[in-house]
Amino acid sequence: MRVLKIAAMAALLVMAASVAFAGPTYDRVMSTKVLKAGISNQGIPFGFIDEKNDWVGFDVDMATEIAKRLGAKLEKVVVNNNTRISFVQTNPPKVDMVLSNMTHKRVRDEKIDFSITYFFDGQKFLAKKGAVKDVKDLANMKIGSMQGTTSIVNATAYLKSLGNANPKVTGYDGEVAMFEALNSGRVQAISTDSTILLGYAAKVPGKYELVGEFISDEPYGIGLPQDDSAWRDAINFTLQDMWKDGTYMTIYNKWFGPKSAYPFPMTSKIELWP
Amino acid sequence: MIKTYFEKPPVQNTILVGMVGLVIYYFAFVFEFKYDFDWAVFVTEGQYGHMGHLMLNGLNTTLTVTFYSTLIALACGTIFGLARLSKFKPVYWFATCYVEFFRNTPLMIQLFFWNFALPNAFPEEIRFKLFEMDFEFWCATIGCGIFTGAFMAEIIRAGIQSIPKGLLEASYSSGLTFTQTLRKIILPLAFREIIPPLGSEFLNNMKNTSLAMTIGVTELFWSMQEVLSLTYRTFEAIVVATLIYLILSLIIAGIMYVVNEKLKIMPRDKVTPLRKIADIIFWPFDLIGQVLEYVLWYFRKSPDKRTVSPITRLTKTSVKQLILFAKILFISGLAYSLYAIGMAIAHFNFTVIWANLPTLLFWRFPNGDETEFFMGFGGLAGSILIAIIAITGSFFIGLIIGMGRSAKNRVLRIPCTLYIELFRGVPLILVIFWFYMVVLPFVFKVYIQAFWAGTIALTFFFSAYIAETVRGGIENIPPGQVEAAKASGLTYFQTMRKIILPQALKQMLPALVGMFIAAFKDTSLLYIIGVMELLRAGYAVNNRLMVYPFEIYTTILVLYFIFSYIMSLYAKRLERRLSPERVRIDM
Repeated sequence: MRVLKIAAMAALLVMAASVAFAGPTYDRVMSTKVLKAGISNQGIPFGFIDEKNDWVGFDVDMATEIAKRLGAKLEKVVVNNNTRISFVQTNPPKVDMVLSNMTHKRVRDEKIDFSITYFFDGQKFLAKKGAVKDVKDLANMKIGSMQGTTSIVNATAYLKSLGNANPKVTGYDGEVAMFEALNSGRVQAISTDSTILLGYAAKVPGKYELVGEFISDEPYGIGLPQDDSAWRDAINFTLQDMWKDGTYMTIYNKWFGPKSAYPFPMTSKIELWP
Repeated sequence: MIKTYFEKPPVQNTILVGMVGLVIYYFAFVFEFKYDFDWAVFVTEGQYGHMGHLMLNGLNTTLTVTFYSTLIALACGTIFGLARLSKFKPVYWFATCYVEFFRNTPLMIQLFFWNFALPNAFPEEIRFKLFEMDFEFWCATIGCGIFTGAFMAEIIRAGIQSIPKGLLEASYSSGLTFTQTLRKIILPLAFREIIPPLGSEFLNNMKNTSLAMTIGVTELFWSMQEVLSLTYRTFEAIVVATLIYLILSLIIAGIMYVVNEKLKIMPRDKVTPLRKIADIIFWPFDLIGQVLEYVLWYFRKSPDKRTVSPITRLTKTSVKQLILFAKILFISGLAYSLYAIGMAIAHFNFTVIWANLPTLLFWRFPNGDETEFFMGFGGLAGSILIAIIAITGSFFIGLIIGMGRSAKNRVLRIPCTLYIELFRGVPLILVIFWFYMVVLPFVFKVYIQAFWAGTIALTFFFSAYIAETVRGGIENIPPGQVEAAKASGLTYFQTMRKIILPQALKQMLPALVGMFIAAFKDTSLLYIIGVMELLRAGYAVNNRLMVYPFEIYTTILVLYFIFSYIMSLYAKRLERRLSPERVRIDM
């Protein structure tokens, strides 16, 4: 019986200790010097596992740089399309920020806060080279997309606007499954943010091409806990500093520059406050 | 004094009500969720559509997948269960391979394999024909069916084998023919024997269909995730999905209970009300049976027809030849498929497998980041570690809950029963979600690595199953021993510790090893929350290579199989050693 009592006491202590840490994110990061970032590990080129089994990507580099500038140690936490929002939404948040090629949307902004846009993307379609002569061809094709993203909603709406009243859009579990569906011929085209499509298309050079124009704007923001302006300012200022001193472009060119595997020219400029 | 007071039912009921009240009071007034509930998301049309309809569609798909896969499982189970008893060795071997292979690899990877790797084995035209049909749906349905079929085959085989040899000898010596023995003795007895385990397989199959979401089937779990990521209502989505799964489980359990009641042998004058209801429900089946009986009576052979006429002899020899022909056909079919599999394996890109084997075994063990779990420990070794921790933990929880479940006192028994039924009624993948996204962060406000969250979820899930095993073990001990212990003045805990548990644990040992295998296989589900166990490691490798899914998933399957199979052989040996009186009957 005594063992049980001691165990119960220990459990209570652990819980009390974890509750004591709750507080504004900025203070916590500054005092513990640990920055927890939620990043996807299956989205080439934003966050993925490379040949050496290292977790790399654009988002990973951005998170590392932000942590460095805030003087904290980065702790990477795996998130996926289904968990990326809820992890900053819990109270206290499970992670301090989420970089997971996440589009800044107003509905999402009701639940969590976002930084300024740190990447500009848009949704497109990827199909076998020559399979789509005209955008109208897409209307009656089987389309694959990703579960838990708005891409699937956008794609369905787009196909409807092309004249198919009952489009077939399947939501696969993550990027790999979606691309595999295209690769095996299960779907004729896949649709999500263009950079992700580029990343996978580069795996089989020359076989696939992006078709049509952007069907939506996808400005990526860093997901942050709701109502914590000190923390949001810190992140925004860091992003702007990175842009000003050129670190941003260095990271950008590493992943999307002309010499990279998935060139994606920079078209916009991030918001800069004087 | 207090003890005798405690044994009175009204007192126990009051305490139970008090406990419920306390829990409600705590969560309603004391506990701060720091989360605003909005149940309206399920009844109103949102920006991304009607979430309630989404869930209903999911439920519909779940039911459809469950229905078809159960039929497939029953067919597979019956065919292979009988084949396991065949005296013709190739059929026996084939059935054994089927059962062992599908029981000892995780369903999740089987589904991945069917979905990603299998289509590559077909020529292009057939593949595209397949994809034009509802490929993912049928992939999941057939995959679940084949998986559950392997378990059912073992249950059916065990049911048939459980009939004592003496009964068969008695029936033959009293002049019954083989078909009569089968119909009158073997099947009714075997059926009664297999109904409870078969029922739990139906239940498992329903829960397992939740894994279909990993390959893009829009069933209930998929819908739940979709609601979760479109509306960000974590709590509401998970609660609704849990309730639906619990209700489905209750319905299946209820049906099985009624069937069980129908099969019970009870004297005509002591029929319970439930039995009467069961009788009414099963009246059509009884009617069919009676009609069959009537028909068969008229078609039976009279003794004078049993003399062998030339025509009978001719048919008999031709049947023999037909069987011989079928056997040859079977063997050549088997040989061809072995050849095909061998050729497919020979064409594997083995350099890819060799290059990634260390990753699959240990993930990035010594080179991991310091924020990762134990220097990047994972892969097969990680899966084994999770299984060891989870089973050790759940053994102790299961022991306590199992003892509570078999206690006479309601205050102990009812909460323990609820615990067991709750965990056994929902899919493991949902339990993992519960712990990772609700219980730990919202209720306990602890934030731990996915590795630990997953391990804790597995621990609590399997403790419910171990508790049932413990209960079975305790109930197997003759009650005379408890009475003797009481008479010699031992307390409850002394009786348990010194007399009941040592014997019960010895009986439970094979079941515990089986549970360990199950836990090891189910570590693959932690892939969903990003734990780098074997499946996730393989997934990461595949994510990078993209073009070798066949090689990678086959390697993972083989790794899982080797480990589980060795353990299951060990469990079988234990079982044989602990119960030497088993005799294999011949049919």
